Amino acid sequence: MVSGFHVPGSGDTGPDVPEFGFSPEVVLYPETVEEISRVLGFASRNGIRVFPFAGGTKLFLGNPVGAVGAALSLKRLDSVLFHEPSDMVSTVECGMEVSEFQNAVGRENQIFPVDPPRLNSGSTVGGLVSTNLCGPMSTRYGTCRELILGIRAVRADGEIINLGGKVVKNVAGYDIPKLMVGSLGTLCVLAEATFRLYPRQPFSRTIVLGFDDHISCSRAAGAILAADVVPTCFEILDEKLSSEFAAAPGAKRSLLLRFDSFEEAVLEQVRQVREITSGDFASFTEIGNEDSQELWDSAREFPFSSGAGFSSKLALPVTASIEVLSGIESNPALLGVTARCLSRPARGVALVSVSGDDQEAVRAARFLENLADSLGGRIMFSGVRRELREEVKAWGDFGDALFLMKNIKRRFDPGNILPGEKIFDAN
Amino acid sequence: MDSQAVKRTGRWKSRIASELVEILGAGAVISAEDELIAYESDGLTGYRVRPLFVVLPSSTEEVSRVVGLCNREKVPFVPRGAGTGLSGGALPSREGIVISLARMNRILDVDIPNRVVVAEPGVVNISVTDAVSAEGFYYAPDPSSQIVCTIGGNVAENSGGVHCLKYGVTTNHVLGVEMVLPDGEVVTLGGPAPESLGYDLLSLVVGSEGLLGIVTKVFLRIIKKPQMVKTLFASFERIEDAGASVSAIISSGVIPAGMEIMDNLSINAVEATVGAGYPRDAGAILLVELDGPEAEVNVQVPAVSGILRENGAIEIKLAADESERQLFWKGRKSAFAAMGKISPGYYVQDGVIPRSTLARVLGEIGELGRRYGLRVANVFHAGDGNLHPLVLYDPEVEGESEKAEELSGEILRVCVDVGGSITGEHGVGVDKKRFLPLMFSEQEIDTMNLVRCAFDEEGLCNPGKVFPTPRTCVEPGMQKRSSETAPAKEMGELF
Ligand SMILES: Cc1cc2nc3c(=O)[nH]c(=O)nc-3n(C[C@H](O)[C@H](O)[C@H](O)COP(=O)(O)OP(=O)(O)OC[C@H]3O[C@@H](n4cnc5c(N)ncnc54)[C@H](O)[C@@H]3O)c2cc1C
Repeated sequence: MVSGFHVPGSGDTGPDVPEFGFSPEVVLYPETVEEISRVLGFASRNGIRVFPFAGGTKLFLGNPVGAVGAALSLKRLDSVLFHEPSDMVSTVECGMEVSEFQNAVGRENQIFPVDPPRLNSGSTVGGLVSTNLCGPMSTRYGTCRELILGIRAVRADGEIINLGGKVVKNVAGYDIPKLMVGSLGTLCVLAEATFRLYPRQPFSRTIVLGFDDHISCSRAAGAILAADVVPTCFEILDEKLSSEFAAAPGAKRSLLLRFDSFEEAVLEQVRQVREITSGDFASFTEIGNEDSQELWDSAREFPFSSGAGFSSKLALPVTASIEVLSGIESNPALLGVTARCLSRPARGVALVSVSGDDQEAVRAARFLENLADSLGGRIMFSGVRRELREEVKAWGDFGDALFLMKNIKRRFDPGNILPGEKIFDAN
Repeated sequence: MDSQAVKRTGRWKSRIASELVEILGAGAVISAEDELIAYESDGLTGYRVRPLFVVLPSSTEEVSRVVGLCNREKVPFVPRGAGTGLSGGALPSREGIVISLARMNRILDVDIPNRVVVAEPGVVNISVTDAVSAEGFYYAPDPSSQIVCTIGGNVAENSGGVHCLKYGVTTNHVLGVEMVLPDGEVVTLGGPAPESLGYDLLSLVVGSEGLLGIVTKVFLRIIKKPQMVKTLFASFERIEDAGASVSAIISSGVIPAGMEIMDNLSINAVEATVGAGYPRDAGAILLVELDGPEAEVNVQVPAVSGILRENGAIEIKLAADESERQLFWKGRKSAFAAMGKISPGYYVQDGVIPRSTLARVLGEIGELGRRYGLRVANVFHAGDGNLHPLVLYDPEVEGESEKAEELSGEILRVCVDVGGSITGEHGVGVDKKRFLPLMFSEQEIDTMNLVRCAFDEEGLCNPGKVFPTPRTCVEPGMQKRSSETAPAKEMGELF
């Protein structure tokens, strides 16, 4: 076997290959950006479609991919190339696991503050950028969109490009690094990314507020958003998740918050939250850093941890992301399924997982789609069972941006070498 | 594009003028030569071009119809806000139309619970904060020009300000836009929700320097005013120590809202004009603004003071009240204007460097100044490494303005050499387009052109800016295939 590639079914045992849902003729393991460039140059000249991947932890995002000639693994590009602690900037290869990257910058007491699902099961930097997944810490730090400063990438025609830069402020040329965020590998193959980092905070405290009804919970959430406190994480859990995460068992709703700063500042903010919500909560628990780990792991992994069915993300205006929980809980359209919901109000995000039999699940999906629409938001579905994919597409309506998105794709990759159907449904 | 500008006949001009009047009304079309002069340049007055017409639409529909007309007639058009841009972004096109958004200056919605203000592009930056201030909110990006510059201009330039170290620049505060594309079509990208799905086209539009279309409505994120704001002033004998303090503060885990440095020349310019009470003999002064929850700021103030002392600060003052705080800032905010008092002419540059190279770069700038025999004043957003070297010259002295321009270019070269950028917030415009190749290869600039072509195939929207050489849009076809295509398996032999 030639080093650096693997032909599935040839009898060789190649490196771990994830379940793609399609059968590539070859799996390639380049070690340098020049090798990626050669692959894509060859591919575009010969009309061979190439599917980039790395950790293989998020292949269920986006629409299913049609026929692909080569799967291109970024796994061997896995080092930190540059880290200047006093600039708080680091450049990392895209095949590196996010958790390893975090450990590397952590040695300088800095953080790369993105905590996506599957963080500790192989999620890579490239996967993170191309999916734009995030977790509880996005409340304070945003997603990689807010952190990315530059990229080194290979265009579908094989050209190597470096765009953006290594400084935190830069307006030279269009912000193409941000365009790559969330593009699901449909525009370029990312080889390296440069990020802004943040200092690690010395002290941290988690609090859980349990509520007997949704009205008092919404009121408390609104009060916290309006208060002079700056939580790192702020989540609302519905009744099921309150119990399943062992956050506030038995509560109708719960709020989950974490503060990170100097000790005095953290304790003072915790005190303030307690004060402004005291008339509303039924229980108030403070949890130290170590003991809160499991809770945050659960919140981070949701909704991909929830098994069968599908999950969805609703991007909504802030207030709608609070109220949406009630809309979901009480709606008869969801009676036949089990729905769980977590909301991240500062980001206007609601995550919903649904399990149930086919017909009911499709009905639930339609309902959520209409709900997102009526609240002035957008929706995406992921992890949809094969049998339901005809009915439940990965993406809701993109509005009138769709044709511009298609223009961008056509300009960057006219031959659709990098499977665009992940975003643009083939039908 | 400029060089190929079509010469129009008088008949054509009067026909277009009457069509414009039909769309907009006579009071919104400027064609008199003496009135056009005011629109010949933006804040970078060295470049001047007189447009054919200036139009002042009042609605998205009017913008769309004017753009549709330009598209039909193949007339280049240039969006314009307040004209304070410092890179020539709003410089008119020869034989082109300037579309001023000045009359689209209404705040359309203030939605406190959702933390969104919807504004027309001609709204002045400070008015957004004014509209929400009573409720305890503000709009974070605060360019020094904020009392005049417009939201549309801010979006186009991705403007920054003195507080962007902690809060980010315009792109971090724009949730959505409505825009008129270069063919006249109206689209909405993003909206009131903080997150969006699909390709992040909004991030392309913010910072696009008016090349991708005309923004007609903006969804802005507003944030809560911090509970406490404290401003520290420190003076140093050597500017290097001020620079070292900045790195040390950030390394300690504190992210101030802003950190600004001024060198001795700037201090003296400011003292000669506004009198902010800065010590004239100091090598540099540093302003550090800390904000956030009271309990946090109260811990940070002594921590930062300690760092300043360790790094050789001669004098450290904490603003006792809001009026003293304003006084500290007054000098900084009037620094550009003050230069006009000590020098008949100056060039502002906008290079960015990694913070860790500050001392080295300041040394090199000093050396370059000596070599060219010109004074260079340094005023900068130290926290994010965004320098604003002001090259002083006398336009009356033969050849001096050329020398100043050359020196400015040399400074940008130094910035790029240490891993920085040619512009942090003012944009490339016409001024810095020739320096773009210092940072990017032909292929990289071509890649930027792919974005432009996805929005503007005809290249009529603000042509002649950003790109160092004119680029057209080639219709993308399938890549040229080899006559006999190879199977994927052969790819294993590529490496
Ligand atoms: C004294 C002074 C201090 C300054 N300080 C700062 C500072 O601290 N930080 C900073 O970042 N900048 C600063 N600037 C630069 C300038 O104020 C900003 O770039 C500002 O955003 C320009 O806004 P404007 O309304 O004047 O835009 P204009 O100068 O009119 O236009 C700027 C660009 O935006 C485009 N444009 C305008 N409106 C639209 C629209 N609706 N749709 C699409 N494109 C549009 C124009 O075509 C042009 O390319 C300063 C300028 C001055 C004169």
